[in-house]
Amino acid sequence: MEEREYRSASGAPIALRRRQYSASCRELVVRCPRLQLRSLSAATSAVWLAAYGLFVLCENSMVLSAAIFITLIGLIIYLHFVKIDHESLLVIGSLGIQVTSSYASGKESTTFIEMGHVKDVVINEAIHMQKVIYYLCILLQDPGDPQGVSEVVPLFQSSKPRLDCLIEVYKSCQEILEQRKTAPQPS
Amino acid sequence: ENSPAPLPERAIYGFALFLGSWFGFMLYLIWAYVPETWLFSLGLTYWPQKYWAVALPAYLLVAIGIGYILLFGINMMSTAPLNSTHTITDNYAKKQQQKKFQEEAIPALGDIPISEVNRMFFLPEK
Repeated sequence: MEEREYRSASGAPIALRRRQYSASCRELVVRCPRLQLRSLSAATSAVWLAAYGLFVLCENSMVLSAAIFITLIGLIIYLHFVKIDHESLLVIGSLGIQVTSSYASGKESTTFIEMGHVKDVVINEAIHMQKVIYYLCILLQDPGDPQGVSEVVPLFQSSKPRLDCLIEVYKSCQEILEQRKTAPQPS
Repeated sequence: ENSPAPLPERAIYGFALFLGSWFGFMLYLIWAYVPETWLFSLGLTYWPQKYWAVALPAYLLVAIGIGYILLFGINMMSTAPLNSTHTITDNYAKKQQQKKFQEEAIPALGDIPISEVNRMFFLPEK
């Protein structure tokens, strides 16, 4: 098991941890940048200053209590639904690929794709919000039509690692996916 | 045949447009500045309200400003999302035929599948 530091597409530090469970099973975990104290303080101060300005204008003290509630509830919603703590990719040769996102509140959201549907794991480039980014994605195929790509599943969407980290993940996945060709196909 | 060089016909078109635009501008100034009573006394009673002499330029300027933002937004909306197959392939690439490889000839132009491109770029050890 090893852990290395990389950078995300926006420059924030992220970490990639690789674990090899067996010859055909690997887990790759990308830890996203943590919630910064300064951005949290900035957001809270902005909301409270705006609420105090409103209070000075309309002399109603409910505005201040409402601002406190909004800040608390907003923070809880953000941690539970938006802020992702780490994203992991578990590749089990001949079984499938499992993609997990863990939110900062502890909630985990998992997707499993069976190996029959996986065509390949590739690094694709696309335009995203006035930038061209590299991102890792799983190409899915219809079991009946092995030549065509039926769907594209992008991975590591919120940590957005840069190309050096993606190449490491890509090489690890390809080592396991290559075993598919040499292993006997189940009927 | 399609050169941008000056031609007699183009000179005539240009002059006609020049005269027409000066005439239109003078008409607009007359409509905007000449008092209504004077226009009525000349018999021109059915011209639009002078309100529009100010409103139309204002509408036009706001429309141009919104047009910049709208075009930017339309561009962003038509960009393929990250999970669409349009970032990988398209109809022409799906229907392409593989030409046979001939010795000493330039290989035919074609779309290389993304798996192969990835293997070539990222797999070989230096």
